[in-house]
Amino acid sequence: MEISLNNIIADFLEKEKTNNSEVWQQKILFKEGSKTEISAPSGSGKTSLIHFLYGLRKDYNGTILFDKKNIKIIDSAQLADIRAMQLSIVFQDLRLFKDFSVLQNLEIKRTLSPYHKQSLINEMAERLGIVKKLSQNAGTCSYGEQQRIAIIRALQQPFSFIILDEPFSHLDEANSEKSMALIEEEAAKRGAGIILADLQHNTFFKADSILHL
Amino acid sequence: MAAENNNKSKISFKTIAAFLQTGNKSSRLFSYAGLAVGVMLLLCCVQLYININLLLKEKNPRKNGYDFISVTKTITNENMGKDNRFSNTEIADFKKQPFIADAAPLLSNQFRVKMSAGDIIPFSTDLFLESIQNNFIDTLPSSFTWQPGQTTVPIIFSADFLEMYNVFAPAQGLPQLSEGSIGAVNIILECSAPDGTVMKFTGNIVAVSDRLNTVLVPESFLNWGNKIFSTLPEQPAARIYIKTTDANSVALQNYFQQNNYHVNKDKTKFGRIKSTLQAIVAGLGGLALLVVLLSVLLFSFYLQLMISRSKENLQLLLTLGYSPLWLSKTVAKKWFPVYAIIIFIALAATQLFQYFFQSNFIAGQDALSPFIDYKVVVLGLLLFVLCIVSTYRLIKTQLYRL
Repeated sequence: MEISLNNIIADFLEKEKTNNSEVWQQKILFKEGSKTEISAPSGSGKTSLIHFLYGLRKDYNGTILFDKKNIKIIDSAQLADIRAMQLSIVFQDLRLFKDFSVLQNLEIKRTLSPYHKQSLINEMAERLGIVKKLSQNAGTCSYGEQQRIAIIRALQQPFSFIILDEPFSHLDEANSEKSMALIEEEAAKRGAGIILADLQHNTFFKADSILHL
Repeated sequence: MAAENNNKSKISFKTIAAFLQTGNKSSRLFSYAGLAVGVMLLLCCVQLYININLLLKEKNPRKNGYDFISVTKTITNENMGKDNRFSNTEIADFKKQPFIADAAPLLSNQFRVKMSAGDIIPFSTDLFLESIQNNFIDTLPSSFTWQPGQTTVPIIFSADFLEMYNVFAPAQGLPQLSEGSIGAVNIILECSAPDGTVMKFTGNIVAVSDRLNTVLVPESFLNWGNKIFSTLPEQPAARIYIKTTDANSVALQNYFQQNNYHVNKDKTKFGRIKSTLQAIVAGLGGLALLVVLLSVLLFSFYLQLMISRSKENLQLLLTLGYSPLWLSKTVAKKWFPVYAIIIFIALAATQLFQYFFQSNFIAGQDALSPFIDYKVVVLGLLLFVLCIVSTYRLIKTQLYRL
């Protein structure tokens, strides 16, 4: 799958402010297997861009195409299909079921479109150091732990692209590195592309290209 | 890459059940109970309606599956002086009604007829003669024909008249007659015209009729006589016989009433009882329908509440890639067995009702089946489908709104 952005610009952004952007109002092609870092200072519309890409918001001009499908106008069933099979995500605000256990949070994603067996959840949790938290309610975990839960959840499904929105903001360097390594490993298994958006450059992410928002 | 996303079909409701906040159990149970009572009441009413129709259908002795009813216009103080006979359009209107198989006018003589019974029975009277289409006559011998020049006229005599004669005959010193012997009586019919022309015919009673209370002669004789002895144009009929499959049909009753027609009350009394009973049962049925609708409404409120309580969870499920269509179907399916049980209970209760109704209704035991009618089962299934569809549609609209 390829994702192409054609002259997109968020409705709420002033055009003059985006003149120097390498994303807004540009033509960009994300190829499967590519690693892209989007470096975005606060207020540049990073999270909005991620939501546009994931089809959550439509308040922009221009087109975002998944292969040839315009994500703005496809029906809800197709969008659900893309989210379940081709596009995985780690939200900045994580979006976990806070009143449910960590395992339930992971299983609800895995059962939808299982890429791994359930046993691999333990292995991944072990690697990221949250295996003891599996039976605990997600809401009671620290933000850093929740971030790792969201990362593991994103890796339970098949995907052609994984979008990461400030995935390591609350992780120390060691945990960030471990997490990045796991993500890159899983993406490689699928031959998938990685799009990582963050406030500043991530040293442990070996991007093919860096775009400044 | 892994298979298509339709592997979602393998995911059961159980996977997402925990993410639905089902909330208030009592309001849910209350709407279930309401639905069960409403459906049961509705099904019982329909079964009762069918029972009434069966019980009050076959109360008349019928010939060839038809009832024959004599219809006249009701004579009231208002229309007393007017012409209360039937016009051709009125007769045509009778035939147009779906509940009337056929209608025929009784034609009467427009000339004077005097009858005497010769020496055996010294009795003489002015008489009326009537004729009707042959297919309306219950006892029709092959000899019931007449051609101009024939001096013997065959007559079909009303059994009621014979009975009346036999009641007053002894007091008058006249012999009583049986149905068999009446054919032997020599009757002399004296037809006269206003100009004084008189012709005599020999009348021969060839049959007695239970259905037609009149003195019948062949149509050909009456037509001929009306031309020869009368100068008047053809006169409309004052009496019509109608042929119907069900004298107690409510539609027939209404038709008579609307047109102010008079019929033999005894023949149609069950029709009037039936229409009253039907109205009561229909009213009860309407009430039952209201209960069903109210409980469906209550249940839909409950569903809306459930969805709005679970709004955040459902939104997140959609964000994770669960399709709204799949979610609607899966959530709606949860109520499949609930509705099935409710409808089954209602059908079983209706069956129980029918069993007791049939076994305690001695007069109608033969006419009634101890089992519920298939129409009731069909209605039950229809209500089941209605519940499923309405639940599914409601959940779908709510989910797509998230």
